[in-house]
Amino acid sequence: MIARAVLLVLLPVTAAFALSQRRRLHAIIGMAVFSLLLASVFFLAHAPDVAITEAAIGAALVTLVYVLAIRKTGRLVVVACQAPGLIAREGDRIVGLEWEILKQLAETVGLDAVVRFVSHDEATAALLRGDADIGAGGLLADEVDSRLVCVPGHLPTARFDVIGPRDGTEAWPSDARPELADVIDAVRRRAPLSITLDLARFLALSRYDLDAYAVRRRDGDPVYAFALSPTGERLRASLVSLLDRLRTTGELDETIRRYFP
Amino acid sequence: MRRTHLLLPVIAVLLVAGFCVTVLVGFEFRGTIEHATAGWIEVAERTGAINVVTAIYLNARLFDTILEVLVFAVAVLGVHFYLTTRGRPERVESIPESNVIRIAADVLLPLILLVAIYVVVHGHLSPGGGFSGGVIAGTGLLLTAIAVGTETVAARFGPRLIERLEWAALLGILVLGLVPVLVGRTPLSDLLPPGEPGRIASGGSLLLYNGLIGLKVLIGSWVIVRHFVEHRGEI
Repeated sequence: MIARAVLLVLLPVTAAFALSQRRRLHAIIGMAVFSLLLASVFFLAHAPDVAITEAAIGAALVTLVYVLAIRKTGRLVVVACQAPGLIAREGDRIVGLEWEILKQLAETVGLDAVVRFVSHDEATAALLRGDADIGAGGLLADEVDSRLVCVPGHLPTARFDVIGPRDGTEAWPSDARPELADVIDAVRRRAPLSITLDLARFLALSRYDLDAYAVRRRDGDPVYAFALSPTGERLRASLVSLLDRLRTTGELDETIRRYFP
Repeated sequence: MRRTHLLLPVIAVLLVAGFCVTVLVGFEFRGTIEHATAGWIEVAERTGAINVVTAIYLNARLFDTILEVLVFAVAVLGVHFYLTTRGRPERVESIPESNVIRIAADVLLPLILLVAIYVVVHGHLSPGGGFSGGVIAGTGLLLTAIAVGTETVAARFGPRLIERLEWAALLGILVLGLVPVLVGRTPLSDLLPPGEPGRIASGGSLLLYNGLIGLKVLIGSWVIVRHFVEHRGEI
């Protein structure tokens, strides 16, 4: 009798828990617990057949189907090029200014952010295919593919040309966007280069000896941007309002200072 | 070609309608409450099933149960029809899964299948039956699909064979219900002797019905999941 009363009280509690969760996985777990409690109620009411069916369908099958469903839709898939200070892998963690913003974005829209580090062209392709939701990693607003939705302006930047030693063939054409690690490797080998880098990557590169290279800052005031897949209009609204909020509360400036003192 | 497309659904509808009419005409309706309650005990004794609930829904009310199975079959058919006409994306990219889930699925699948078989086979002795057993086995398959990908699991079965098996199970249930007519008994009544209560080989035809329903539900739930994954996303 008491057991049944406790279960009947717990039922609406777990239902409310499932409904109130922002994270979908938590809501699904809440529903599974609800089903198990309901199955126990059925069992106490001398309906073991119904209890077994409720447990098998409600707690197991439906839960698994929902878990499958959110594996694709429940993730905020970020494709990024490694850019120290903005978004980069450090050991087994991911750090950077853009990553902090994206983590907050994922939280506001109730998804889990996952990052795939890819090359610039692969990132654009993945966004166009709809395999990823948002592109990051030092994208410049005026270089984002026009078919993508572009959200510029979280951080001003600059372009730097790094050109040098003039003898021999260059490793990449001047409009290529090679991985930063390859550029650093080339600089250490004193390989010929003619390449344009954004501020974050240039700062990372300038820790190495650049004496052999001519460095020139280009004119213009480019800004960093996030690139969203063409279907990302709703995500764009969330991102814009998040950036506005971070700007007005001063959180954005504080984070920038933390990564770019 | 066009004519056969029209003919098949018409034949199917006629078959189902004919089935329902045969059963309704041949069914013994008893009016009063006393008749009904006396009927339940009599049903349990007649079938030799310990689980009276199973005896009722697979013997006295088998007609209702068969229509429920048909509802499920129509749901599977609907998913199949609407999703195959959508066309499929070129390539389904499968997300690599962590070792924890892969190993857990390897360990759990045999256990889950064992429980499912137990629940189906003991349907007339203990709580459970074809529906719950089928769903439990379907959960096991789904878990494996999460771990190794639907494509791998589907390739192991062969989709055409599995679909035929599903409809064969449904056909088996309908035929099993009509066979008693051939020996001059009411449709959907028992064919096999009740046997010794408490043994697995008892309970008349209940075990056969449970097995067929379990197979049907298992394949049906798998087909639904596979179609959703193939046509709408990844696993």
